[in-house]
Amino acid sequence: MIAGLFLLALPLLMQGCGLLPMGPLTEAPGVPAKAMVSGVPFFAQDELQCGPAALAMALNWSGVAVQPSDLSPEVYTPGLKGSLQSALIGSSRRHGRIAYPITGSDALLAEVAAGHPVIVLVNLSFFWYPKWHYAVVIGFDQEQGEVILHSGLTAREILSARTFMNIWRRSDYWGLLVLPPDQMPVESNEVEWLAAVAGLEKAGQLQAAATGYVTALTRWEASFAAWMGLGNSRYSLHDLDGSAEAFHQATLMQPENGLAFNNLAHVLDEQGKQKAALVAAQRAVDLGGPFLDTFRQTLEEIKLR
Amino acid sequence: MLKNVLKPMSLFLVFSFLLLDLSVQTANAKMVDTNAVIAVQQETVNRERVAAFLGREDVQKVMVQQGVDPAEAQQRVASLSPSELTKMANSMDQLPAGSGGGGAIVGAVVFVFVVLLVTDLLGLTHVFPFVNAQR
Repeated sequence: MIAGLFLLALPLLMQGCGLLPMGPLTEAPGVPAKAMVSGVPFFAQDELQCGPAALAMALNWSGVAVQPSDLSPEVYTPGLKGSLQSALIGSSRRHGRIAYPITGSDALLAEVAAGHPVIVLVNLSFFWYPKWHYAVVIGFDQEQGEVILHSGLTAREILSARTFMNIWRRSDYWGLLVLPPDQMPVESNEVEWLAAVAGLEKAGQLQAAATGYVTALTRWEASFAAWMGLGNSRYSLHDLDGSAEAFHQATLMQPENGLAFNNLAHVLDEQGKQKAALVAAQRAVDLGGPFLDTFRQTLEEIKLR
Repeated sequence: MLKNVLKPMSLFLVFSFLLLDLSVQTANAKMVDTNAVIAVQQETVNRERVAAFLGREDVQKVMVQQGVDPAEAQQRVASLSPSELTKMANSMDQLPAGSGGGGAIVGAVVFVFVVLLVTDLLGLTHVFPFVNAQR
């Protein structure tokens, strides 16, 4: 009975408590009253092509020269008559750009004030008759209560902040930054940034990924995962010396973690430094952990040479 | 007619899939990739956050009020899988920030969250899909 009451109360409480800032744009501390991002070209969208258009604007701003029609095959899903958020993220990565999702108006204002355009997903209609749409926020004016967007067929469309927040809320305030790998969001979280860079690595954009990891190390100099990622992407770029150096740094950051020793062993082995490779591989096995089987395989492989 | 085309085509497809599989296996045979490294790091962060949340004085008070041993709750959380931990940490993010923080007064939402979490762990309720009650 009591549990039942809680069950009823939970969603009510959760909804009413303003999990995210609502209503007109909140005055975020440290954000100027107005801001405008320069250098964001406008592409009028073709029918149903707001995804490719919005992404093209952000990519061109970030220094990638593409047309919406080039992006359409990567982004647009004909069966859905629209573009999925994950497709925008994937396509940004294929063009060597960091795709970094953000949420909420504080983050939006901070990024726009820092000169980063933000792709937003909005629902122009109600939830029972959804009209999803992507637009690019390029400016705001908190005194006038206005948000400025490149949207649909209109460049520099001005929306009241109230309207904007209403249509944006329906996507849970989803926004996407598309950044060159040497530029970080204003507020970035280490794991999220590294996950975004690892996405670049996965997409085969190795040089961009390496840059992203180096950028991470400027902010989080003791980041184990950043050194690991740098080692992995340099290895894939056939830069064995650079790769060994990065893995070595990783072993210094977390001497108790076998992962770095395992990868270092592989690189040393390929460099022909068999003795050092054996030492590193043995070290990984001694340290153990969830990847112990992999470490053992590494050791066996090196011993067999 | 169609058959003539289909057979060589399916053979070709079979072979190309074989090739695909092989190439994946040989490339980076035993290097641990970055995504795995990040997953490990994320798991550590989540585990620490959840443990810290359950370690809060105000949260512990709620648990004791409900007749739950905080140490037992911590132990059960320790047995959650990484994906369950992620979901838990994410739903903690949904809690209003700052409510009850520092002070001994738990906000209503936090209170309900803790109680339901604990009753889930005990197997009395099943609100959070990420909690597998111990049987």
